[in-house]
Amino acid sequence: MLTPLKVDPTTFDEGSVGYFRYGMVGDKVLLTNDVGEHLFLTPEEFRRFIAGQVQADEPLYANLRKRYFLKRDLDVEQFATKLRRKKAFLQNGPHLHAIVTTLRCNHACRYCHASRTDMTATDTDMSLETARKVVDFAFRSPTPVLGFEFQGGEPTANFPVIRFVVDYALEKNRYENKELLLSTVTNLTLMDEEKMHFLLDRGVSICTSLDGPADLHDKNRGWMEKQSSHATVTGWMDKFNAEWVRRGFDPDLFHVDALMTTTRASLSRGRDIVDEYVNRGIRSLHLRPLNPFGFAVNTWQQVGYTMDEFLAFYRSTLDYIIELNRKGVFVQERLASVFLTKMFTPDDPNYSDCRSPCGSGSAQLAYNFDGSIYTDDEGRMAAHMGNDFFKLGHVDTSSFDEILRHPTVKALKVASIQDALPACHSCVHKPTCGVQPLHNYMFDGDIFGQRPRSRKCQEFYGVQQYLYQLLSNDTDGSLERIFRRWTIQRSRPGTTPYAPASEVTA
Amino acid sequence: MSENELQTEVDERRVRFSIDESVYDLDVVMGAAYLFLDRGYVFLDRVGDRRIQVALRTRKPASEAELHALAGEFANELLNQALRKRVGEANGRLREFIMAKALFAADGPSTIDRLLAELDAEEMAADDLDIPVPWEKPSGG
Repeated sequence: MLTPLKVDPTTFDEGSVGYFRYGMVGDKVLLTNDVGEHLFLTPEEFRRFIAGQVQADEPLYANLRKRYFLKRDLDVEQFATKLRRKKAFLQNGPHLHAIVTTLRCNHACRYCHASRTDMTATDTDMSLETARKVVDFAFRSPTPVLGFEFQGGEPTANFPVIRFVVDYALEKNRYENKELLLSTVTNLTLMDEEKMHFLLDRGVSICTSLDGPADLHDKNRGWMEKQSSHATVTGWMDKFNAEWVRRGFDPDLFHVDALMTTTRASLSRGRDIVDEYVNRGIRSLHLRPLNPFGFAVNTWQQVGYTMDEFLAFYRSTLDYIIELNRKGVFVQERLASVFLTKMFTPDDPNYSDCRSPCGSGSAQLAYNFDGSIYTDDEGRMAAHMGNDFFKLGHVDTSSFDEILRHPTVKALKVASIQDALPACHSCVHKPTCGVQPLHNYMFDGDIFGQRPRSRKCQEFYGVQQYLYQLLSNDTDGSLERIFRRWTIQRSRPGTTPYAPASEVTA
Repeated sequence: MSENELQTEVDERRVRFSIDESVYDLDVVMGAAYLFLDRGYVFLDRVGDRRIQVALRTRKPASEAELHALAGEFANELLNQALRKRVGEANGRLREFIMAKALFAADGPSTIDRLLAELDAEEMAADDLDIPVPWEKPSGG
C-alpha cells in the first residue's frame, strides 16, 4: 500500500490537474479515477503531469484528457453520466435472496464456513409456510432482477422447500414480471433423477463445490458416507451436463458451475485444479481463499496459510489460465473478471463482496431456516457463532422497508463507503475495489477493521496489483484482448420459463 | 547529516522521529501512519509547538538499518500523502458536484413516489384552510 515513489507535492498544479489516485506498478505509475479509467505513466511523465506541464499538443495530453484526468477541458456532464452508470446498482433493492432450506449436511468439510448440523436434526429444516413468507417478502424488493439461491447445510436435504419455492416463485412471477433467477448450491451427493429433472425443467442453475482432482477434493471435503465425494459430484455433474445437451442447450452456457476453496493442500496444485475444471467444461473458476472463521478456525493449523502464500498461488495459477487462453482454451478466473469488468467496461458487475458500499442488506439478504432475516450469509454465520448483530428481522414480523432502513444496514454501508475509509479513499485500486465489513467483523470484531491488516484487503489489493502488472507489460495488446473477453458475461436465455408442474416433461 | 535529513532515534525494535506540523498536516501524518499498521505499532505524540513525534515499533525484531529504512519509508509516504491531500482539496468541490449530479436519484424513493410527494407538497402549500396543521398548533387566526 505504500507508494515507493519520490514526489514533490509543492509542484502540484491545482488549476489543471483533475482528481486522480496513483500507485506504483513495477517501474510505472498507475493513475486511476472514479469512473474506473486507468493510465500508466513513467515517473517523469507523472512529475510533469502533476506539475501541469503536459502540453496540449502532446499525445499524452489527449490520453489524460480522454480518461478524465485533467480538470481543464473536463466534460462534467459525461463524467457524471459515467459515474452514475458505475453506481447503477444503488438504484435497485436486494436482488439476491439466499434461502437456507436446512442446516443439515452430510459432509464435514475441514474448512466449512456455514453452520451445519447432523442429518438427523430435522428441526433445522425450513417449513413450507416459512418458505412461502420468504418468497412473498423477497418479491417486495423493487429490483427488476430477482434471484433465489438455496443454501444450507446441504439445501437438497430439504428438497420439498426447494420444490415449493421454485414453483411458487415461478407462479408469482407470472404477475410480477421480474427477471427471475433460480439457483441452488449443492454438494450433489443427495441428488437423484427426479430432483435433477425438476431442477432442469424449471431452469434452476446448479452450483457445486469442486476443489480439484479427486485426491485433493476428497481430502478437503470429508463425506459421512466414506465414499469418494469427488466421484459422486463429478458423476452428477456429467449427468446434468449431458441432459442439458440432450435438451438442445449450449453447453458453454448450460452446465453445472462449481466453486473451489483453496486449502494448504491446494497451494501446489493450481494447474491440476484448472485442468479439472477445463476438462469438465467449466469456463469460470474462482480461486477462493480460505477465511479464518467457521470450522476453519479450529483446523487453521492444518488447512490455513498466509495471504502471501495465497497470492503466490493465485499468480501462478492465473499465469496458467492465461497460458491456456493463449492456446485457444477459454477459461476465466472469476475474481479477475470482476476487477477487469470494473477496469474495462462502463458497468460494475455488482459483486456484493466487492462493492462500495457493500451489498449486505441492500443487494442481498439471507433467510435462515426459521425465517430470520440476515444481511447476508456471513451475517447468518455470525449469528450461529453467537452474535445476532446482523439479524435484521423476521419474515413474520418485519416490513421490507424496515429491513432496508435497518440501523445495521446503514452501519454496514457507512463502513464500506470507500471514499470515507482511511487508506481506501486514496488507494489506487479504490475505483475497482470494494469492502465487505462482515469480513472485518469476523476477523477483527470491528466492521471497519484496519485495511493494512485485513486479509481481504491484502487479497484484493494483491490481485489487482498483479492484473495491472500484467497489463503494464502487455506491449502487443494480446493480453488485454483476453482480459476483455473475460468481461463478457453471456446470459442464459430461457432459464426462467414458466411451466406448471403438470406440463413439465421429464 | 544535512538539515533536511530525517533525525531519528533508534532503540530495540523502535524508531522515533519528529515532524514539523507546519510542513506536514496532522491529517497527512495520520494518513501515513495508518499505512504502517501492518508493519508494527504507531505512537503519535505532540512534543512541542507544532511538532509531532512518531514512534514506530516493529512487531518482529529489526536491525538498526531496518529501523532507519522504516523511518525513511515513512518520510517518503508523508510526501505522497501530502500530494494526495492537495489533489483531494483542489478537486473536492468539483467531485462533490459531480457525485451529486450522478447520484441524484440513485437511492431515493421511486419516480412515482417522488411525483406523488411533490403533488402532496403542492396541495399542502395551496391549503388555505390549514387542514394538515395539528389542532395543538393552530396557525394564527
